Amino acid sequence: MENVMHGGTKAVHHQVELSVWPLITAVGAFLIPISFMTAFSWGLSSVGLVLAGVAVVVLIVGLFGWLNEVHAKKEDAGLSKLAIIVFIVSEVALFGGLFGGYLYAMLFTDLWPPANTPEGVPPIGLAVLMTIFLLSSSFTIHNAEEKLAHGDMGGFKGWLVMTTILGALFMAFMAYEWHELIAEKNFTVRTNEYGTFFYTITGFHGSHVIVGLLMQIFCMILAAGAKIGKNRQTMVKVTGLYWHFVDIVWLLVVSLIYVVPYLKAGQ
Amino acid sequence: MSTQPTGFKSWLLTTDHKKIGVMYLVTSLVFFVVGLLLAFIMRTEQLDITKKVIIDADLYNTAFTIHGAAMVLFWMIPVLLGFLANYMIPLMIGAHDVAFPRLNALSFWLYVGAGLIAVMALILPGRLDTGWTGYPPYSIVGPANTAFYVFAVHLLGASSIAGAVNFITTIITLRAPGMTWGRLNLTVWGLFGGFIIQLVGVPVLAAAVTLLLFDKYLGTSFYDGTKGGSPILYEHLFWFYAHPAVYVVALPVFGIVSDIISTFSRKRIYGYTSMAIAIMIITVVGFETWVHHLYVAGTLNWTRVVFMWGTIAIGVPTGIKTFNWLATLHKGSIDLKTPMLHALGFISLFTIGGVTGIANGLLGFDIQVHDTHWVVAHFHYVLAISMSMLCMGAIYYWFPKFTGKMYNEKLGKTAFWITLIGAMIAFLPQFHLGYDGIPRRYWKLPSQYAGEMRIAVIFSYITIAGFLMTLYNFVHSAIKGEKAPANPWNSLSLEWQIPSPPPFYNFEQIPTITDGPYEYGKPADTTVKAH
Repeated sequence: MENVMHGGTKAVHHQVELSVWPLITAVGAFLIPISFMTAFSWGLSSVGLVLAGVAVVVLIVGLFGWLNEVHAKKEDAGLSKLAIIVFIVSEVALFGGLFGGYLYAMLFTDLWPPANTPEGVPPIGLAVLMTIFLLSSSFTIHNAEEKLAHGDMGGFKGWLVMTTILGALFMAFMAYEWHELIAEKNFTVRTNEYGTFFYTITGFHGSHVIVGLLMQIFCMILAAGAKIGKNRQTMVKVTGLYWHFVDIVWLLVVSLIYVVPYLKAGQ
Repeated sequence: MSTQPTGFKSWLLTTDHKKIGVMYLVTSLVFFVVGLLLAFIMRTEQLDITKKVIIDADLYNTAFTIHGAAMVLFWMIPVLLGFLANYMIPLMIGAHDVAFPRLNALSFWLYVGAGLIAVMALILPGRLDTGWTGYPPYSIVGPANTAFYVFAVHLLGASSIAGAVNFITTIITLRAPGMTWGRLNLTVWGLFGGFIIQLVGVPVLAAAVTLLLFDKYLGTSFYDGTKGGSPILYEHLFWFYAHPAVYVVALPVFGIVSDIISTFSRKRIYGYTSMAIAIMIITVVGFETWVHHLYVAGTLNWTRVVFMWGTIAIGVPTGIKTFNWLATLHKGSIDLKTPMLHALGFISLFTIGGVTGIANGLLGFDIQVHDTHWVVAHFHYVLAISMSMLCMGAIYYWFPKFTGKMYNEKLGKTAFWITLIGAMIAFLPQFHLGYDGIPRRYWKLPSQYAGEMRIAVIFSYITIAGFLMTLYNFVHSAIKGEKAPANPWNSLSLEWQIPSPPPFYNFEQIPTITDGPYEYGKPADTTVKAH
């Protein structure tokens, strides 16, 4: 085949020819359902558990190798910033579906939360604390971006670490809250519709916080390797946008899953 | 500077949009054959509608479940948003590749993974028998392994969302200089609309089935009426995506029909702007129709009325398109090549389906025909056969471009007429059955319909034979066809201005676009000027 010139003046797009990472990532993603079905559908719990471990390792290796390859080749056309906004639209739809289902259940139920919900649920005090952590982390990551834009790498790293600590605190308190509710108050997914939605929606949100934290950690690794700078900000901007989104979703979680039932229960 | 890699590894590890496109095409055609085989089995079972012919009721349930899933989720959507989008969008907008080549490869492999799970659901114990809709409570308490269903949707959903993010970004950012939104092929517009629906709809379906999984394995009670949940909630979430999924297929199809008709009439497409606007209107209004699947489920009355109007309103932009196609044909220099025949055959089948669709959307009428054979007949005209046929037309149309070979014109035309004759009759009797209130998905039927159903069976065999001839034409011509010129149709569209098959990097230099793809009859008769 002939050699063809890269042409054009606008948006020189570097074509990747071969990459092993998409296939590895897909194999990891494929093994997750296989491990689940091995354990739950075919009754081989231990084999399923081992498979799940393998799946997670393969998936992480695939994604890490992928991101590493992208940054090693210095491909930074800046397209990811638009892509993450498009992706966030789909995330909005995901949470829209979940909240839609929640509102459907709430509006078609006479008493919300239902009568057998334990006293002290939802735990509003903890929710306020968690809101403070997450809201302030949106400001810290914004500061990190500002510092990076001005080339202040020290300030950037500092604010980024602050963000990650606040996000990790949020997750720690969420874990504590779940533990308290399940162990102390015996409030589980099986208790009633409210329990079903409470754990599902906070769980979905929590999983998104974890993804955001992983992105921040990856930014730190890149920063340590000097692969992030004033001229290469895309990964940080992407992480920032995603983090703000996760934050906004939490405001909805707190209002609809905590405050509304709290006020209704107090009536 | 680099050379094109070759060999097995070059397919397995490729990130090239053209190779990924070809892999999508081959995989989706495999699923089309699976779907055809299951259709053949079900139709054979209907040769005698009073007693068992070849399969029992349980297998019949599995057959229509996998038939539906294979045809919609693994054939039509992937052949359009996988194959066609991959191969043609970069060529049509003047780009070297998509925005994220690796993500593109991931989309394909996730689709393959989902396909493997679908095949498991067909053959392993706990075979899916829930229908492609997977309604609770049956999918939760029934014998089927719902996990197959949920995970196939998850992997396919991840694939679709990645694809949507990739191609929306590509269309917005990688258009060549001068390729304005008003100069995009309508095929690109249609795919763009389809990707937007995927982006917004698929996550909701993913949520719906995830909650199904939680209900089955974790003891939640989203859809369990005995514990305060509601199975109706599932129907809402499911159809929020699953009805617009029809437009995911339809919008690219509308675009392709426009491209083919303009090329083979040698006329500018009539009403380009209204065509593009109609596509975007359907993209939006498509999300205001889903409750018509719940007319008899016990939803609030006012929602039924609102969504009835939404459903009927879809007929307006669709009608605009149909009349624009007719206006394009009017006084055109029409050349009835195989792709053109497919486009015209599509319009005739689609019109029958579309008109019955308006009737179907009417609340009062639908209560009589809801979940009957009438609905089966309607969507096989409007979606299943008409759009599968048009997909074949699209493959014929771009066959010289992506294989570098010419297909067999005579065999193509013969296969077309056989398919069309079969398709025109195969589902006609079922309008009558449904009008009488005979429910769909029943293994056996009242004996007075035996004669009509036998006609349906015979003509469905004819349809299947026609499709198999088309597939033979593809395979045979890809291997032994004559070498194709760069632009056998003398099209003005950008993808035809480069060699067939396209070189590795598509364009030696990113072209500068000076005119739209449909400007036939202008003195210069060229739209592309390389600089």
